[in-house]
Amino acid sequence: MAAPIVGTRAAIREALRTKSGLFGFGMLGVIVGVVIIIPFIAPYDIVRAWGDVAAWTDNPRNAAPDWIDAFTDRKQSRNIILNWDDFSKGESNTSQDLKIIILQGRWEFKYATFPSDYRLQIRANWASSPIQVTVDWKRPDGESVRMFEGLVTRQAPSIDVLPLSADSQRNDPQARVRNWALSLGADDIDSVRDVKPHVTLFAEVGAGMLDPNRARVLPYITGRYSLTVTAIARNTTDTVDARFTSYGEVYGLAGTDHLGRDLFVGLIWGAPVALAFGTAAAGITVFSQVILGALGAYYGRRSDEIIQRAADFFIIIPVLPILILIGQLYEVTIVAILFIVVLFNIVGGTTKVVRSITLQVREELYVEAARSYGASRRRILFRYIIPRTMPYTFALLSLSVPSFIFLEASLSFLGLGDPVIPTWGAIMGDASRNGALYNGLWWWIALPASGIVFTTIAFAFLGYSFDKVLNPRLREE
Amino acid sequence: MGFWTYLGKRALFLIITLILATYMVVVIANQGGAIDQILITEIRIAVRQELEGEIFYQRLNATERTRVYEERVAELVHVRGLDQPFIAKSFRQTWDALTLNLGQATFTYGTGSFKLTTIIGERLPRTVLLFTTSTILSAAVGVWLGLRMARKALSAFDRGLTVLSITTLVIPSWVFGIFFILAFSFALRIFPSGGMVSAPAPREPVALFLDQLWHLSLPLLTVTFSTFGGWSYTTRNLVLQIMDEDFVNVARSKGLSEKRVLHRYVLRAASPPIVTGIVLAIVASWTGAIVTELVFSWPGLGLLFFEAILSADASTIIALTIIFAYLFVLTIFVLDLVYGFLDPRIRALGR
Repeated sequence: MAAPIVGTRAAIREALRTKSGLFGFGMLGVIVGVVIIIPFIAPYDIVRAWGDVAAWTDNPRNAAPDWIDAFTDRKQSRNIILNWDDFSKGESNTSQDLKIIILQGRWEFKYATFPSDYRLQIRANWASSPIQVTVDWKRPDGESVRMFEGLVTRQAPSIDVLPLSADSQRNDPQARVRNWALSLGADDIDSVRDVKPHVTLFAEVGAGMLDPNRARVLPYITGRYSLTVTAIARNTTDTVDARFTSYGEVYGLAGTDHLGRDLFVGLIWGAPVALAFGTAAAGITVFSQVILGALGAYYGRRSDEIIQRAADFFIIIPVLPILILIGQLYEVTIVAILFIVVLFNIVGGTTKVVRSITLQVREELYVEAARSYGASRRRILFRYIIPRTMPYTFALLSLSVPSFIFLEASLSFLGLGDPVIPTWGAIMGDASRNGALYNGLWWWIALPASGIVFTTIAFAFLGYSFDKVLNPRLREE
Repeated sequence: MGFWTYLGKRALFLIITLILATYMVVVIANQGGAIDQILITEIRIAVRQELEGEIFYQRLNATERTRVYEERVAELVHVRGLDQPFIAKSFRQTWDALTLNLGQATFTYGTGSFKLTTIIGERLPRTVLLFTTSTILSAAVGVWLGLRMARKALSAFDRGLTVLSITTLVIPSWVFGIFFILAFSFALRIFPSGGMVSAPAPREPVALFLDQLWHLSLPLLTVTFSTFGGWSYTTRNLVLQIMDEDFVNVARSKGLSEKRVLHRYVLRAASPPIVTGIVLAIVASWTGAIVTELVFSWPGLGLLFFEAILSADASTIIALTIIFAYLFVLTIFVLDLVYGFLDPRIRALGR
């Protein structure tokens, strides 16, 4: 029989000799790579805004990732944002002390699908009375629609969103778009509520332009769409600015959720959270279980008995239902969850196995030798006995990381996890509660699920390779 | 220490575990007594609303009003037993639970009855249908595959299945459920995405049975797929280990056929741990799984537990906990007993 493998370094070296060990360490390397680049692509500020609904209004809602273009064979619409500075500005004063401000934003639209929606924001600053604005929509084919005539009621710094799209309440942009389309010879549809301005305004002129199912995107013509905001102000100090967003059908590398949150941010932030939680929980519990198991077996009868009974007790108690109970009563942070998980796993299955290994090892000759030259009990325990349990400890450590990651994910999936940090489980839970599974929003739930599966499989491979080190019979010869 | 002393000690330990676990759940489910304060506040609001609608109350002066109000509140608090200290109440609830005096739930959970035995009686068969069936199925498939893997150890078949086993066994059923629903019910539209039966349910018994079978298929497939790996991997390793033992080599050297060696010698030695594992898994399957049942909208015990927690229904939470606790403790005790009889080392304690 081969010599037993002793110590941390030897255990890792042996594991790296196996194919699955290489694979596991490789996958783990990928995840650690993601964690390292996070500060550069998604700093913590973005994550802090995760729970803030207002922070994500520039993104389309429920948008698929943009790489699905590769499978659909046509370029789907992306986000187009004309910022406050992107609007050209002209001012003139009339005889009656009125100031006329003309803002114009222009953009090209080269996509094969309609935008999912659009939005025009106005930031007005007036001295005595609200500003009168008109908004004209002009298309590259020369057609134009007056979309809005009315007052900007909000004063800067608060921003007004003009009612131009289908879900606005104040005016009726749908009626304007319908009248315009009918004048161009479009077939009417049953209800004005069904008019989708973000479709018809970008549609080729024709009979079907009011019907989202029949409308075709206006092919790209050299020329631009333009949005002209004409404002009439009472005072020369008054100012008006405009900002336009055309929402895409697809967005980013991981799409967006129902609030327009960039799922890529949540997805990559899930990696360090899962990794830290899983390794911390597994590390602390396995460490304490090993130490307590060895201590109990090596030192006393009384303490051994207490530790073993406590281990039996905690093996029987199920942690998830208790975590769910606690999570429902209190708002638990991820650190609190970690604390509870550790508390319920201070002793457990590993304690019992390490105890039996210790009972065996302490009778071996080299321990006897150490004892005979006068090594202290502590030295024998930490230098001679615990290193012998290392391959086993590593196998267990790697295999318990996935179970802790999934424990946290289950809790978050149920909506009872950390309320601030986006974890993979929390995103999947959000998706599930908002019907992602039944409405085909697969990216919302499948991508975080893949993240969690990738991470845990890395640890499964590692665990398997340590298992091979322990049981040479499993080895590939 | 004799065998019977050993057994007695185990029984004592299990009973203490049972009491401690039950008490812990009683305290947590009652939010450490905080639920009583919430109920008292509710009573105060209700009493005030009721009194302000009464003419005699409106005619009283301020001090008399306070007196009447406090009297009425105190009366209701006493009737509901909220004036007792939580410590006493928690002990009584624990005792009720331990004597299986389950009592009433706060909600009916769609059964039309508040009796917990009725509610649990309706949910348990559904959980058994899904989880016990899939446990048996996955154990059968897993053990069968494990045996074949061991016989062809280190072949491509063995290696492929080993990788599949170790990767699927770490991933819980509900995560597979998400992928399977996306694939089989959203993309391919073969299976329904959840529930036990179509709405409206077919009237005819045969059609109803087929409809339920159709709804059962996807969760059954999911749970089986995510759990077979544990069985195949452990069976393979166990059998390989036994195949190396001296008594097997002796059997081989006697010239017995490989098949006979496997069946007569290896399997006989390998079956006790496997059977124990299957028994434990079947008992565990009766608890259902909270998240898996949620993903598949499967209205079993796991979902009942989750619904009870969400609505802070302490009596249902305690009832479910105590039933599972009894179940586990009894199973563990029976296994101790059986092992005690079978294992010569423990039996020898008596001599």
